[in-house]
Amino acid sequence: MEDGLSIQFTVNGRSHTLKVAVHHTLLDVLRDDLGLTGTKECCLVGECGACTVMVNGRIVDSCLMLAVEADGTEIRTVEGLASDRRLSPLQQAFLDRGAVQCGFCTPGQLMAAHALLSANSHPNLGDVQEGLAGNLCRCGCYLQIADAVLSVAEGEVR
Amino acid sequence: MSTSFIGASPNRVGGIGRVSGLQQYVADIRIPDVLEAKLVTLDCARARIISIDTSAAMQVPGVRLVMTAADLPQPMPRFGPQLEDRPVIAVGETKFHGDPVAIVAAETKDAAAEGARRVRVEYEELPAVFTVAAALDPAAPLVQDPSLRPKSPLATTNVLGEHRVGWGDVDAARADLVVENSYSFPMVTHFAIEPHAFMAAPDGDGIAVWSSIQHPNWLQRIMAKLLGLPLSKVRVYAPDPGGGFGGKQHTKYEPLVAFAALKAGRPVRLILTLEETFQAVRRAACEVRVRTGLNSDGKLVFQDIKADYLIGAYTDIADRVVGKGSYPAAGPYNVPAVRIFARSILSHTVPSTAFRGFGNPQVNWAVESNLDEGARALGMDRLEIRLRNLARKGDAFIPFDTPADGEWDQAVRRAAELIGWEKPLPPGRGRGIAVGIKSGPTTGLSYSTVRLLSDGSVVVFAGTSDMGQGARTVLAQIAAEELGAPLDAIAVVMGDTAIVPYDQQTSASRSTVLMGNSVLMACRSIQSQIRAMAARLHGVDEADITVERGVVKLPDRELAIIDVLKPGLGRLGGELTGNGESRKEAEPDHPLSGAPAFFEFNCTAVEAEVDEGTGDITVVRHVTVSDVGKALNPLQVRMQDEGAAIQGLGHTLMEHYIFDESGRIRNLGAIDYRIPTSMDLPLELHSDTIENGDGPGPYGSKGMSEGALLCVAAAVGAAVRDATGVAIRDLPLTPERVWRALQERAVSAADGRRQP
Amino acid sequence: MQTFVYERPTTLAEAVALLDTHGSDARVLAGGTDLVIRLRDGSARPAIVIDVKRIPEMCPTIRERDGIVTIGATTVMTDLAANETVRRHFGALAEAAAVVGSVQIRNRATVAGNICNASPAADTAPPLLVYGAVVVAAGPGGTRRIPMDDFFVRSGVTTLAPSELVVAIEIPVPVGRTRAAHVRRTRRRGHDLASVTLCCSVDEKGLTRLAYGSVGPRPVLVTDESGVLADPAAPDEAKAAIFERMFAGASPSKRSMRAGPEYRLAMLRVLGSRAVRAAIERLAESRQVEA
Repeated sequence: MEDGLSIQFTVNGRSHTLKVAVHHTLLDVLRDDLGLTGTKECCLVGECGACTVMVNGRIVDSCLMLAVEADGTEIRTVEGLASDRRLSPLQQAFLDRGAVQCGFCTPGQLMAAHALLSANSHPNLGDVQEGLAGNLCRCGCYLQIADAVLSVAEGEVR
Repeated sequence: MSTSFIGASPNRVGGIGRVSGLQQYVADIRIPDVLEAKLVTLDCARARIISIDTSAAMQVPGVRLVMTAADLPQPMPRFGPQLEDRPVIAVGETKFHGDPVAIVAAETKDAAAEGARRVRVEYEELPAVFTVAAALDPAAPLVQDPSLRPKSPLATTNVLGEHRVGWGDVDAARADLVVENSYSFPMVTHFAIEPHAFMAAPDGDGIAVWSSIQHPNWLQRIMAKLLGLPLSKVRVYAPDPGGGFGGKQHTKYEPLVAFAALKAGRPVRLILTLEETFQAVRRAACEVRVRTGLNSDGKLVFQDIKADYLIGAYTDIADRVVGKGSYPAAGPYNVPAVRIFARSILSHTVPSTAFRGFGNPQVNWAVESNLDEGARALGMDRLEIRLRNLARKGDAFIPFDTPADGEWDQAVRRAAELIGWEKPLPPGRGRGIAVGIKSGPTTGLSYSTVRLLSDGSVVVFAGTSDMGQGARTVLAQIAAEELGAPLDAIAVVMGDTAIVPYDQQTSASRSTVLMGNSVLMACRSIQSQIRAMAARLHGVDEADITVERGVVKLPDRELAIIDVLKPGLGRLGGELTGNGESRKEAEPDHPLSGAPAFFEFNCTAVEAEVDEGTGDITVVRHVTVSDVGKALNPLQVRMQDEGAAIQGLGHTLMEHYIFDESGRIRNLGAIDYRIPTSMDLPLELHSDTIENGDGPGPYGSKGMSEGALLCVAAAVGAAVRDATGVAIRDLPLTPERVWRALQERAVSAADGRRQP
Repeated sequence: MQTFVYERPTTLAEAVALLDTHGSDARVLAGGTDLVIRLRDGSARPAIVIDVKRIPEMCPTIRERDGIVTIGATTVMTDLAANETVRRHFGALAEAAAVVGSVQIRNRATVAGNICNASPAADTAPPLLVYGAVVVAAGPGGTRRIPMDDFFVRSGVTTLAPSELVVAIEIPVPVGRTRAAHVRRTRRRGHDLASVTLCCSVDEKGLTRLAYGSVGPRPVLVTDESGVLADPAAPDEAKAAIFERMFAGASPSKRSMRAGPEYRLAMLRVLGSRAVRAAIERLAESRQVEA
């Protein structure tokens, strides 16, 4: 493409070098250029968290990050949570605890929860609610989501 | 035998796709050669379109098509589930802020966006009506051309429909106390996290349509009519929507996208922005005047209810919402005299559509709040007044209609128990309790097909839309139960009109009952085929064999279905197929075209605290109890009820459209339209169910998922009144509104006495 | 959004030169949480976007030296809120940083971006004003220091010259014991823009410094040297009179969607007295801890 910039980043452990339009966000590139449609598009103003991914170990709203800013970073998306085709304990907990209804906010919730647990392996309910407050769920699964996250923290995943 | 699937909470069928990110919503589906589309709208509420110049847009590299009304068949095709009043695209006039005037299709999203920016529309802004008062003013401009409603005497007004329900003689009724107040319910939007997405592609001599639609077969019918195609040549793919709540029930921009695709000769995809969804769907706002007559013993003497619903510029399903929502407005009570007069009033605003609760939450807010006032005036306990008037099971509380179909007092007592109604209240706190009722489906038709494959696994074809409520899971549970297959051997196929049999719609909490019964029937058909097989294999009379819950009972032994199926199918293998049909015919003389199959009944009780300095409400405890007949999947039931409760807290505490003086929406998007986050939950939220097996669905189930939203506002409002002495009659109860009411209380001390 | 040229200078001189060349055609990109929204909605249409996150002088470190804490311009809210030095000396700034948006926003939003965006509702502004922060700005003519109270003009406008960049924020470590509190009004408990955002500090000598935002075109700093506000025993009426003087300059927008003017003015007083009370309590607690 014309007027693109070449960037290199690692997504879910795999290195990519690609040319991106400078005005495209990380969300655009993940979904449209790399075909990783697990990360979702909703508000595009950094309010709903549906586009949450991890960049260098921290969650961000990928709709507010230009793809070019991700040059040289390590990115993890929902597609990178499972390993060897097995769901992660957190993903399994979401299923077991009913933390999923329509599922559209789920990838973002999982990333936020994953980041929370990576930084704090023993969160309390307040920590979980605050840590995931940037992820809107209109189906209203909040309690079950918190339950799932706490169950992983307490090592209760089956 | 193994434990039953019914009443168990197995993991969600379809859950793995959702947690792995692999599930494909419409916006995730990539088909080759697709053109990305963008809508062109005007920055005003209403305008006369003078001209549209698409030449600059067409010159943008990558733009392949710019379509306006001029490019569509003449006269403009119109559609709508109730009245065919909605043009495929605005013609001559835009009637609400966000009404599209053009669609641009291009090779990339960037090109489409650039093309949309360059479409030059010359227009003249016109005065818009966007309140009930403005719409009803005799001098108001007509939202709709009278020629669209030639048979209606109301066609020269902005009143679309009038609905009258009543019995007894309200004017002659004598009551010891009459409480009269006016209430308002705001305009709110669904805000599903998945914005609406539509795609269409020419498909041979027909068309394929993808949509986040809740009613695929209804969409198919509308598309076939608009395009002049047989149903068999219109294929609707309906992937599981990312949240619907009613906002994805009815056709919106699919026709526009389809015309664009046919013109371009290529697939065209339109994904709305979140802002555009606020301009596509909403709930009807409402102004309600309630006069409640009570005797000193707390018995209701009459309810006189006038409800003006402000709907949008096109009918969509809004008049049905008004008619059906207002119908049980007098509540789940025995009331000797009732007069309900409800109107759907057109306005130059976003077309209102179905939204969880379907017209009931608006009147419930008013009627339950008014009952609360009445109890206070009588010095009567607000729980007691409800129990005293509540319809008992079997009561014809709406005369000549479906009688009360549950032990509703059990739900009320349970809610009261869970909130601790009798316990002393800590200082600064208040309690409220309210009940809500909604009519279930009044007509319905759900077909299903079930295939029992040679290894005992099962495929269920069901046209229900699983938008998170868990229909897939429940239907799989039914099949697993009846056919003795493990749950992970059940595949549920939905969302493709070419291969899934007809389902009228997914709405009104009907699917467990209607589609569930259909699946049950299909399984029973397979069971009878199994019975015939067993009879043949074992030389036993069919009459001496029963097949139920996966078990074949012969006179001398029991066998698992698979142990009859395999030998029965023999060397060639094969499968058994069963069909089910669940039908509820219309009753033309009934005001709702049919008596409801069941009622959803809920009791909500709330304990709240108000920060009198700031007006902040803290919901300390929120209890919600629904009468569900039988919870086929208790976890999913709880999730639906809690989700409905949280959604109800949204319109109760924070949600509303904000308009400017000309009718433009100011708070489009997520920054200034607030919905509850994980930090906005009640400090404690409990849901519970009453299960008496008295529903018409499988295993005694009823529909549920809307009940727990119905009376949230009234319960919270009552708790605020209890805590502060102030009754607020307009929603949402934002901190500012509460604060203002508290200031007014301080000024007029007579109203400010708190209840002991 | 429309395209632009993206520059990612690796030296301050480069960045300044770019700004100098392009002037108002350039926008600075730090965390992007304000700018990317504007790029998308078209309210910002720069020809060139300058990403400053690789410039060493602006890097996100927090250093204390010679009685001054220096916060690098690209320090994000998450790190500001968690930093030990900030929490120890400027507790209310840490508090404010912790409520800017959600975790996702805080992991990207920078303190310099917050003040340069100059929203009247910027949550870090009141604490920065109260703590007497100084903005270190670099331009073609060199570096200069701008007291925080001289930095804000009105919504979206600061006293930075068009070719200047905020490089760091310096805050003097308080001399003597002082404690502060940050409070705000929002429409829900979840993350939200503030309809009133306020910070108040009291010190042992009875000096009260109070700054408030979102009640006028820019955040406002006022002080009370009478000692009345800081005195836990002073009667409410006396304090109310001082608040009246302090808030006389408030001019809330009549058009705001978040809150009406009457409510905002009333909340100034409510939050003001709550913040003062909290600061007084913290000051008292800090004395006890040492005692």
